[in-house]
This record gives sequence, structure tokens and C-alpha cells, in this order.
Amino acid sequence: MNDIFVLIEHRQGVIRDITFELLAFGRNLANKNNAKLTAIIFADNSKKIIDKIKTQADKITVIENPIFKDFNAESYQIALAEIIKKENPFITLIGHTAFGMDLCSSLATELKIPFTTDCLDVEINGKKLSVTRQMYDGKLNVKLQLQENDSYLVSLRAGTFPAEDGNLNAEIEKIESPISAEPDYRKFIEYIEVVAGEVDITKSDVVIGIGRGIKEKDNLDIIDEFADAIGGVVGCSRPIVDAEWLPKDRQIGSSGKTIKPKLYIAIGISGAFQHVMGMKSADTIIAINKDPNAPIFNEADYGIVDDLFKVIPVLKNKILEAKA
Amino acid sequence: MNFGLTNDQKMLQKEVRNFAETELKPLASEIDVSGEFPSENIKKLAEMGLMGIIVPEKYSGSEFDFISLAIAIEEISRVCASTGVIVAVNNSLVSYPILQFGNEEQKQKYLPPLCIGEKIGAMGITEPNAGSDVAAMEATAKLNGDHYILNGTKRFITNGTAADTFVVFAYTDKDAGYKGMSCFIVERDLEGFSLGKHEDLMGIRATGNCELIFEDVKVPKENLLGKEGDGFKICMNTLDVSRIDIGAQGVGIAQAALDESIKYSKERKTFGKPICHHEMIQNMLAEMATKIQAARLLVYYVGYLKDKGVKRFSKESAMAKYYAADIAVDVTRKAVQIHGGYGYTKDYPVERFYRDARILELYEGTSEIQKIVIARDLVK
Amino acid sequence: MNIIVCIKRVPQTAEAEVKVDSSGKDIEKDRLIFDTNESDTYALEEAVLQKEKFGGSITVITVGDEDSEETLRIALAKGADEAIRIKVEDLDELDGFKTAQILHKIIKDMDFDIIFTGCLATDDAYSQVGTTLAKLLEIPHASLVTKIELSENSADAYRELEGGLLEHLKIKLPALFTIQTGINVPRYASLIAIRRAARKELNEISKTEFGEMKSNSFIEELFTPPVSKLAEILSGNPDEVSEKLTGIIKEKGLI
Repeated sequence: MNDIFVLIEHRQGVIRDITFELLAFGRNLANKNNAKLTAIIFADNSKKIIDKIKTQADKITVIENPIFKDFNAESYQIALAEIIKKENPFITLIGHTAFGMDLCSSLATELKIPFTTDCLDVEINGKKLSVTRQMYDGKLNVKLQLQENDSYLVSLRAGTFPAEDGNLNAEIEKIESPISAEPDYRKFIEYIEVVAGEVDITKSDVVIGIGRGIKEKDNLDIIDEFADAIGGVVGCSRPIVDAEWLPKDRQIGSSGKTIKPKLYIAIGISGAFQHVMGMKSADTIIAINKDPNAPIFNEADYGIVDDLFKVIPVLKNKILEAKA
Repeated sequence: MNFGLTNDQKMLQKEVRNFAETELKPLASEIDVSGEFPSENIKKLAEMGLMGIIVPEKYSGSEFDFISLAIAIEEISRVCASTGVIVAVNNSLVSYPILQFGNEEQKQKYLPPLCIGEKIGAMGITEPNAGSDVAAMEATAKLNGDHYILNGTKRFITNGTAADTFVVFAYTDKDAGYKGMSCFIVERDLEGFSLGKHEDLMGIRATGNCELIFEDVKVPKENLLGKEGDGFKICMNTLDVSRIDIGAQGVGIAQAALDESIKYSKERKTFGKPICHHEMIQNMLAEMATKIQAARLLVYYVGYLKDKGVKRFSKESAMAKYYAADIAVDVTRKAVQIHGGYGYTKDYPVERFYRDARILELYEGTSEIQKIVIARDLVK
Repeated sequence: MNIIVCIKRVPQTAEAEVKVDSSGKDIEKDRLIFDTNESDTYALEEAVLQKEKFGGSITVITVGDEDSEETLRIALAKGADEAIRIKVEDLDELDGFKTAQILHKIIKDMDFDIIFTGCLATDDAYSQVGTTLAKLLEIPHASLVTKIELSENSADAYRELEGGLLEHLKIKLPALFTIQTGINVPRYASLIAIRRAARKELNEISKTEFGEMKSNSFIEELFTPPVSKLAEILSGNPDEVSEKLTGIIKEKGLI
């Protein structure tokens, strides 16, 4: 079988976690199907990246050029399309990340190859490819069969596959960049850090996360009192920030902060994967939600299925008693 | 015959529901406890065009029909019964009589501010000694040169504490009986006009319900609505229309109670299964849903008659109001029952719905008065 | 500034129970509420805000069944000037790629400066249509945009990256932007605007005029996600569960 390609994702000089997840998944897929795994690096300087991943692929193709210092979906698309056309890999794996989402569809469309996004699993059966992904706010999984072809492009959900150490020794191939300048119609300017507020949710041992379930802004008082009682800070899922009930720097999840507290208590949060991405590394996770089928219970260590407004005030008092 | 809503009615329903869920619902339980008039919400309601639903666009209204009015009131009442009646009063008890009986000058002067939320309307009929027996009212207005001298006290006035524009009934000729009753537009800032007791109500607690006291208030002559002696006719005609709103309010409150009951009965388990699988609960849910739909159709029907230009529909309007009030009380009582002990606490909204529903059998004509109207028509 | 906004009517599933139907390839839809896809409402609002600033006109386009007319009319009531429905009766056949191809067939002959789409449809969750459409039209794009500043021939777009970082880009117009939720505060349609929109003529085009188009993929089956790990559910009334939970938290030395 032809190669499996994995696109290496890095930002501000750091390899993103998704890269290791893609490499581990790609290796398993390659082993099962007798294929070779090739990692593709676009960078201004690739040495540090190569060092970190060289045990994880059969081959590393390096395209070094100053234009690849920062991510620009358009530059990547033009360059990667050239390489894929030439090498014709069976499948190219990209992260379903902010970078991947900006790149995947236009790349596959340019190449006229079947593609799909945000996959949780990929199965190869001869020349056929099927994937598992989620629909309807993560309530259902779907198995899709892609239109049969020689080459496919698939983006994988971040945080789905464990990173694993490798024992390969990659052959390094450096190739010329197919383009020498950023396209004039899309220029990368800069990265902008969101200004941090007074509360840093990444620094606290105990974080209380709230979601749609708190219903209205005024109910934040109940949560604040509880957080004070237990000695934690309050973070939230995306809808709370969209509603402007809490500032952006309190958002936990893929487009917000990633937290690793000792204790995380999810209150009225259903558990969309974007949120889970930001909190699943907490040591102990407790979920309180009225809906027994809420996906958050698949992540939590302990769960309470009840109305948060009934539980939280009682729990607050019990915590205060226990502390006294 | 056509039971379907038109495009604009469907869109109105969807958008008002979104608006009510997002903007009104979060405050509903809070203002129920505090009794505070939701002035901030009024601005948003006016921006949506909900303060002048049935008023023509040339007076800054939204120019929708009466079925649409019913739909909007139902949707608002579904999340907040207080706001439902605030909007209903502004539309049907104040804007409507001005539109129907006012002269061009009065319409141009009073309707736009009421529609755009600059001013809020209230109506004064009821008095301490005149409720169901409207003709027993004691308020008087005596012509004196270019103005009337208004004296009297009005009680249980929705929107009273917040309103700027009042439609007030008083006798200009007490000896002529109900034919001596007249109707006036009274502005809040007139000398001698003060607010009395602020009522601490059982339900619809955020409606600014209070007493109006008129002591030698000089009401300009041009503020007479219609002619002298038109008061009783204006009053009855207006109540026929406003009963569409009150019926719709009942449907909305009842629907909210049913929605909460369905949700709760799926979550709550007894004897090893969700209570929605118990026949006793199913029996209640089925009755609730059927009654609500019957009431809704009665309300829509009155709206349809009004939209078609039918002149007299007192019987139908009384039926809709009486029935919707009756089932709203019944449905909300059952909702509390389904919720068990929790339904009696403020942790769930059904106790508020139950209290809110109870007013429907009392205001804008008690249920007994509605039945008199219906029966008189049957045996006349 | 002529703006095209692509919108979609989707079932609201965030807080609803979603069940697979008897075909195993679709969901039971009769109890679900349908409304404009969430990020599409932000895309439309962004278009209206830009139109208020720069003038021009807004055309909303949807690929959908007859029920989608309401979605278009609500968009008209919120500030769009024209609405086009590309008639498709069997929505299940559509994947993101096919939808993008259909949109391309109609948009390629239109005059526009900007296309806004939502960044994700909550039903099929592909995040494909906008970026694919841009490629088919051969115009630049930026996805997941949470802030945009327009000037005559270009736009400063700010994309939302992981960890709360923004990517600032300069993009030449015409271009396509997929809009992330939270970029603005979508307005409600006023009653007057609803009344006018309800009477407005919608443009309807049959998909069959475009000839056959390929899907990228076919649904084999829909199923409830397997549970990887399940929390230990504490049972009892609020008092009992609070007691148990406090015990656990204390035992772990967290208080």
C-alpha cells in the first residue's frame, strides 16, 4: 500500500500535542496495512522538530523555508498539494485543529480527492476507507464510507488518540519548497495573546466549571459562593462566554484554556468534546448534571444526576462543615 | 376553513419565543419574588415591536392582526406571566381603545410613544366599590370650561406604578346611568393625580399593580375619548378584545406548566421507573395537553372573528377567556401535583405558574361574569 | 460592500434527546425544534453590521427543503436584502462537499465582495462547506473568525486558535470568512421586519439545474457513542449525595 502521510503541526516553535497523536495513530494504521509512515514538516528551521519525532516515523520529509515559520493555510495548501500529487500517499492525516480546519477542505478540493473532517477512527479495507465521526452535538456517532479513490485526506479530532513513544529511525529527506513566498492575497501578520484577567484558571488546584445548565447570569452568585467555600476558581464552557456572563479567559476547552487542576467540578456542563479537551487531564473530575445521558459522565470519576440548584447549596454547606 | 398559521404568524411565533426564552425568562422568577416592574425588558419589548402589535405602522406600531397578538401574548406569558399582562394591557386596554375610538390628533399624540416604549399605558375601570358591577363606579368628571375635573379612586391597576398614559372611565352624567359614563386619556403628570396603595399580589407580582387617586385633576377637554356618554360602550368593546389576550395568557401559562411537567416526569423516578410511565401521571398529562389545545383554538377563533371584522363577539370572547382561565388554573394545579413536594417549592417554576394562573379567573371580568355574558346570549 | 451569507436550518440538538430512526442512517426528527444554525446567525449579524457601516447589499442563500423558507425569511427580517433557496428535497444525500459544490454553481456568477458562513453546522459538524466553497470559487478564506475589520480591498481577520490565541491575517477581497460564535450579538427580527419579510419573494432554484454532483461520503450507520469510562454515580437525595461527595473530596485531601 502507498504511504500514510502525517502533517506535523507546530506553533511558536513548539510541536503541538496533536502531532504526537497523529503519529501514534498513523503508525498503528501503517503497521496494520503494511504501509510506510511519512511525517511532513513545514518549518523555517526543522532541527528541533526532527529530533523530537524521528523515532516516530519511517520517513520525514522536510520543507524548510522562512515562509513556513508561522502557519498560513494558503502556503501550506499550495506546497502540500504539490507533494501529495507527486507522492500519491494512500491517506494524509491532518489534525482537526484551528490550523487543520483552515487547511483540510481547500487542500482536498484542490487535489480532487475524497476527504472528511473531525474523525475519531479510520478503517482501511482494501482500497476502501471508512471513518467514524460525531454528529448532532456529539449525541451520535456516524460511520461514513468515503467515495473510493487512490488517495484520501482525513482530519482527526485532537485528544482522541494517545501519544506513544516510537522505536523507528526515520530517513530524512529534504525537498525544495514548491513556493518561495507567501501568497499576496493572504498574509500572516501575527499571533495575539488574549490579555489575562485577574483570575488565572490554569493556576488553581480546584476549578469549578459551569455551562448552559446554570440558566441565567444571576445564578453565578450560587456558584461563586460554592467556589469560595471549596477554595476554587470559576471557569466555564463556551456558551457562557458567548453570552458574556464570564470573560474569555475563563473559558475551558479547545478554544480556551487547558487546565490540569487536582479537582475539577463540572456543573451544568453537558460535556461537548471541545470542553472535555480542556479539562480531561484534571486528577479528579466530578460532574453534576440533570441529564443522566450527558457525555460529561463519560469523563468524570464521580457523578451526581440531579438539579444543580438543589445540590450546590447543600454541598456548599457540607464542604464548609467538613472544613471546620 | 384553515387551521394553519400564516408565514408572518409563524415567524412571529418563532422569533418572540426566542426573544422570550433568552431575554425574559432569566428575569421571570426574580421579578416574581421582588415584585419589581421590569422596565428594562419594556425597552427590549418595544424594540421588537411588541408594545404596539396591533397598531398600524403609521402610528409606529407593528400592524399585525389579533391572532398574532394572541400568539405573542401566549409566547411571552409562557416564560413570564407578569410581562405577558404588561404587554397585553399596553396593546389591548390602552392602544386599542385609542385606535378604535380616538380622533386623529389623539392617535398621533398618544400611540407612537406607547408603541416605541417611551411611555407605558394603563387602564382605570375597577374601583374599590365597583368591580364586576362596572356601572357602580363612583368616579366623576365635570366639564369646567376647557377641561374636566376628575375625581375618584381606581383600584387594582396593572402597570399603574410605571404607566404614563392612562385610559380612565368616569361619570360625566351620573343620572343617565351607564349611558352617562365617559372615557378619558389622563397623563401621569397632571396635578392631583397620585398613586395609592401598591398591591402585594399572589401572582403576576411584577405588574406594578396599584391604586390611582384623582383629586380635582384637570383633564383637558380634548382628552375625552369618543363622545361624552361613550364610556360604557368603549369599556365593553375594549374588554371583548382584551379577553383575547387574557385567554392567550392562560394558554401560555398552562403550556409552560405542561412543558415543565413533561420534562420533570421523564426525569423523576418512583417505583423503579420515570413517573411519566405511571398511568396516573399520563392521565394528567393527556388532560392537560388536550385542554390547552382546546383553549388555544377558542382564543384563535376570537382573534379570527375580530380580524374578519365581525362586530359583536362578546359571547365567543367570554367563552375563550373563561375557558382559558379555567384550564390554566386546572393545568397548573396538576403541574404542581406531578412535581409532588418539589412543585410546592420555589426550586421549580410550577408554583409560580399556579399563583399566576389564579388571576385569570378574576381580572378583566371574573369567570362568573364571563358565564353571565355567555348565558345571556344563549337565552336572550 | 456586497455580501453573501450561507445559512442552514438545523435541528436544535444541544439540549434535546437525539434518537436514531428505523433506517439506522438518520435521526427521528418529528420532536426536534429546527432553527438557523447557531454560527450562521453570527455570520448573518456580521454581514448586517458591515452593511450598516459600508452600505451595499446582503444575499442569503440556503440549500434546503421547503421548511428552510422560514429560515431565509427570518434572515430577511434581520437585515438581508435578497434570499435564494436552492431546492433540495432529500437533505440526507448532502455532505459538506456536495453542499459546497451546489453553492458554488450559483455563487460563481454573482457579484460579491465577501462571503460569510458559519464555522460549523451543529447537525453534521463537518466545518467543510465554507472553506471548500472558497477553494471552488478560487478566492482566499479564513475560518473560525472572531473579529474582522474591513477596508476597501482587504480585510484584517482574526482567527481563534487553541488556547485563546488569535491569528491575525490580512486577506484580499473578495474572500470568504467562516464565522465563530461570540463575534457579535445577533439581533432579533422586529415585528415590522417580519411582516415585510413574510411577503417578500424568495428566489428558488432547482438543484437539478446544476446536473449531477458527487458526494464525498455515504452514511453507513448512526449509533449511540460507546461509553469509554463511566463515572461512579452517587445516588440519594441532595443531602445524601452531598455527604458522600464531601467525604470523597476530603479523603483525597482536596479540602
